[in-house]
Amino acid sequence: MFMASPYRILTFAWQSFWRNIWLSLVTITIIVLTFISINFLVVINFITDAAIKVLQEKVDISINFKPDVLEPQVQEIQTYLSALTQVKEINYISQKEALENFRQTHSANQLVIDSLAELENNPLGASLQIKAKNLDDYSEIITVINNSKYNNLIAVKNFDDNQLYISKTKNVSEYVKKIAVFASGFFILVAFLIVFNTIRVAIYTHRQEIGVMKLVGATNWFIRGPFIVEAIFYGVIACILAILIIYPFLNFLQPYLVKFYLTEDFNIINYFNENFWQIFGLELLVIIALTIVGSIIAIRRYLKV
Amino acid sequence: MIIFKNISKIYPPDIVALKNINLHIKPKEFVSIVGRSGTGKTTLVKILVAEEPPSKGQIIVGGWEITNIRESEVPSLRRQIGVVFQDFKLLPKKTVFENIAFALEVCGTDRIKIKEVVPQVLKIVGLTGKEDRYPIQLSGGEQQRVAIARALVHRPKILVADEPTGNLDSINTREIVDLLLKINEFGTTVVLVSHNREVINSINKRVVTLDNGTVISDQKFGKYFL
Repeated sequence: MFMASPYRILTFAWQSFWRNIWLSLVTITIIVLTFISINFLVVINFITDAAIKVLQEKVDISINFKPDVLEPQVQEIQTYLSALTQVKEINYISQKEALENFRQTHSANQLVIDSLAELENNPLGASLQIKAKNLDDYSEIITVINNSKYNNLIAVKNFDDNQLYISKTKNVSEYVKKIAVFASGFFILVAFLIVFNTIRVAIYTHRQEIGVMKLVGATNWFIRGPFIVEAIFYGVIACILAILIIYPFLNFLQPYLVKFYLTEDFNIINYFNENFWQIFGLELLVIIALTIVGSIIAIRRYLKV
Repeated sequence: MIIFKNISKIYPPDIVALKNINLHIKPKEFVSIVGRSGTGKTTLVKILVAEEPPSKGQIIVGGWEITNIRESEVPSLRRQIGVVFQDFKLLPKKTVFENIAFALEVCGTDRIKIKEVVPQVLKIVGLTGKEDRYPIQLSGGEQQRVAIARALVHRPKILVADEPTGNLDSINTREIVDLLLKINEFGTTVVLVSHNREVINSINKRVVTLDNGTVISDQKFGKYFL
C-alpha cells in the first residue's frame, strides 16, 4: 500500500503541512535552531583548528652549527634529516646569510657592527630551520638529532625553548579538541531530544485523526507515510532556511578571522563551500533520519486501534 | 452474515463486559442492540470491527472467522464494515468530500472513480453542495450524515452504527434513523446500537437487549422494554 500510493501519501503530507501551518512552522523553527547549533560547532572547530595551524606554523627547531662546520657537511645533515618521515621542510641558512641577518638585526647598534668588522673570520655558523609535519613529531626529530653522529657539530639548538612551547600548544590543542568532542556530543543529544519531542507533540495533535484513519481501514503504512513525508518536508525546509541564515553569518565572521590570524589562508566561507555536501548533506540526512524515527516511534502507540 | 458464538470479554483483572453472547445476524437484516449504559453494547461493536479481541468464543463475519484476526488483515475487514459513531469521528482538517473520499483512498481506489462515487453518496445522504465545507462548518446532523456517507462509500455489506443519534436533537435523530432504514432497504445489513427508547420503538425491527453483558431478549419486531 505504501509503495502503491506515493502520490496520495505526498498529497496528504502536503495538505497536512499547510493545514497545520503553525505546528509546521514551530517544528521547522526547532529544526532550524538545531541546524544552527550544529553548524556553530563546525565554525568553532574550524576556528580552533585554524588557531592550532597558525601556532604550528610558528613552531620550528633551529640548529646552529659551529663556525668551522663546512657547507657540504651541513648539506649532508640536511639530506639526512630530510629523509625523516616526520620532517615537513628544512630551510638552510648559510654562514654568509646568517652574518647578513645578524648585521641587519643589529644595524642600529654601531658597537656590534664595528666589532664584527674587527673580526677576520665569520664568527657565525650555518643553521637549519626544521619544520615537522605534526607537533608530536618535534620531540622525535630532536631525539634523532641528539643520537646522531652529527650532534657534536652543533653549537646551539633552540629546541629546549621550543619544547616547552610545543608541549603547551599540544596541551591546548588536545584540550580544545576534548571540549569540542564533549560539546558536539552534548549538542547532538540535545538536538536529538528536541527534534524527537517536537515530532512527538506534532503526532500527538494528530492522534484522533490516526484513530479515524485506522477505523476506515487504512493500513499502518498508509497512515505512517504522510507523517514520514511531512518529516522530510520539515528537514529539507529547515535545512534551506538554516543555510540562508548561516552564510550571511559566515560572511560577517570572515573579516574578523583575517584580522585575528593576520592571514587569508583560513577562509571559513570557502571551507563551507568546499565541504557543503559533507556538512549540510550529512546534517540533513541525520535530521531526516531522526524525524522519521521519531515519527515512527511516536505514531506507534496511536496505531493500536 | 454475522455470527457471535459464545463471545465473552473480560477486562483485567475480572471485569466481565460480555458473557456468552450468541447472535446470528442474517444478510440485509436491521438489528438494534439496546441496553443501558455500560452493559456491553460498545464492546460488542469493538469486537465486531476487530478493535478488541474477544476473551472467549468465536466471531464470523461474512464467512470469515475474525476471532484471532492478524493485525495486517484488520484494514481489509474494516473496508467491509462501515462504522458510524456517536461523535462522528470525522477528520477535522479534511473537507466533506475529502472525508468521504478518504475511505476509498485507503483502499487504493483511483481518482476518477472517487470523483464519480462520492457525489452519488453525498446525494443519498442529502449533502449535495456541501462537499467543500469542513466538519466544523456543519451541524451535528450533517456531520453524522458525512460519517454515514463515509461508512457507505465503499459499499460495505454491513453498516454498524454505535449510538449515531446520541449527540443529535429529535429532528436530526429522526432523519438519521430514516437514512439508516433507507440504507437497509438498499440491501445493507444494519446493526444499530442505541439506548434511545423512542428511536428503537419507532423502527419496529429486530431488537436484541443486553443487560450486564448477556442477551436477555431477542425479538423479531421488538420494543425497548428496559
